[in-house]
Amino acid sequence: MLNPDGAGAPAGSRLLEARGIRKSYAALEVLRGVDLVVERGELVFLIGPSGSGKSTLLRCCNRLEEPSAGTLLVDGVDLMSPRIDINRARRQIGMVFQGFNLYPHLDALGNVTLALRKVLRLSRRDAEARAMETLALVHLQDKARSYPGQLSGGQQQRVGIARALALEPKIILMDEPTSALDPELVGSVLGVIRELRERGMTMVIASHEMGFARSAADRVLFLEGGVIVEQGTAEQVFTSAREARTRQFVQQIMH
Amino acid sequence: MNALAGEFLNLDVMWRVMPMILAGLARSAVLCAVLLPIGLAGGIGAMLLSTSRVRAVRWAAIGAIDFFRAFPPLVLIVFVYAGLPFLGVELPTLASIAIAFFLNASSYFGEIYRAGIRSVPAGQAEAARSTGMTASQTFLSVTFPQAVRNVLPELISNTVELIKLTTLASIVSVPELLHSADLARSLTYNSSPLILAALIYFAILWPLVRLAGRLEHRLR
Repeated sequence: MLNPDGAGAPAGSRLLEARGIRKSYAALEVLRGVDLVVERGELVFLIGPSGSGKSTLLRCCNRLEEPSAGTLLVDGVDLMSPRIDINRARRQIGMVFQGFNLYPHLDALGNVTLALRKVLRLSRRDAEARAMETLALVHLQDKARSYPGQLSGGQQQRVGIARALALEPKIILMDEPTSALDPELVGSVLGVIRELRERGMTMVIASHEMGFARSAADRVLFLEGGVIVEQGTAEQVFTSAREARTRQFVQQIMH
Repeated sequence: MNALAGEFLNLDVMWRVMPMILAGLARSAVLCAVLLPIGLAGGIGAMLLSTSRVRAVRWAAIGAIDFFRAFPPLVLIVFVYAGLPFLGVELPTLASIAIAFFLNASSYFGEIYRAGIRSVPAGQAEAARSTGMTASQTFLSVTFPQAVRNVLPELISNTVELIKLTTLASIVSVPELLHSADLARSLTYNSSPLILAALIYFAILWPLVRLAGRLEHRLR
């Protein structure tokens, strides 16, 4: 049965369709009914003050956080269904973290191969071959045998991207991927993200890199107080926002 | 001075009792080879139970761990060795000792593992789960290896303690190293065998103590 929106239809253009997402911690309501719909191949930017719920929204999209209410479809699969195999569903949804969260006891190659071996059950040879290809995509094929502690922040984050990318997800969620980086290292990570976009990867990125948003984002969403206040192209949101709250926030991050 | 040396550092006596001492050392080695894996594995069980999501299980485990950490191990060995037969359970001596050590050492190792698990940032498990790994895969491949690495000095220190505790097996007449040395002392009317045993313990344990210290330094 098709619903009027066409949700659940095979090969629809909507890759991620989160509707009415709410998330509360005890008395605190962090998300108050957020809709996040992402088309195939789209790069969506999430901006908003700290505590506005950007991280929580991203983490609800792969149920790393359990939404208190709402519907969540990824490529037509209902992630909130009681029968969902969430581990299987998560293969389709890559995640990149602000603090990288690389496994410090494994080298770059080991970080990328772990899920390939445990989740996709590839042989060591196949996993390493695929991991090397993926590390090449983030320009780190020479660092395969380096441990996270031996890599710069920018290199670590690119390993983090490779770890997500290796599973060939349909969408990658990035939670402030460059906020923990020294300014001179930001460019290498943004460069990789830009290349992913050119390859057609669908991404949702919580980030305040405005210059990058202008040149690469299809859409910018401004989140505040657990609701989406405004959305539009980067140009619209950054230079001619309708809402005073948006303009005020944009002023702040532009200094 | 000579009298003192003759009583404690009598090389002649040491040489004569050497076969006995070596037999004791071999028995101690067997004890360690049996008891250490029991403690290390039991500790994992204790850690899993004491971090269970089921509150009743968690509380029971924490209660038992507290109890066996506070209970004197010597009394525990005697209870298991001499007490179980009254309940109709006849066990070989080594099995009695193994049970007592299982209860004692699991409790200590369990607490060390638990501290190790706590030392691993939550983001590690989140990263693994986000790639589709199951909770148990995440624990085995991501959380536990890092936990062990973070508490390796404490695990080694506790291993040293366990090796020293194996001397308690002497009270249920297991002829381990210290028991043999004490027997040799009463046979020779001379304390040198005890010093010999102490030197052997020191030669084995001191490198472990040093290793723990160095690891601790490197991890900080």
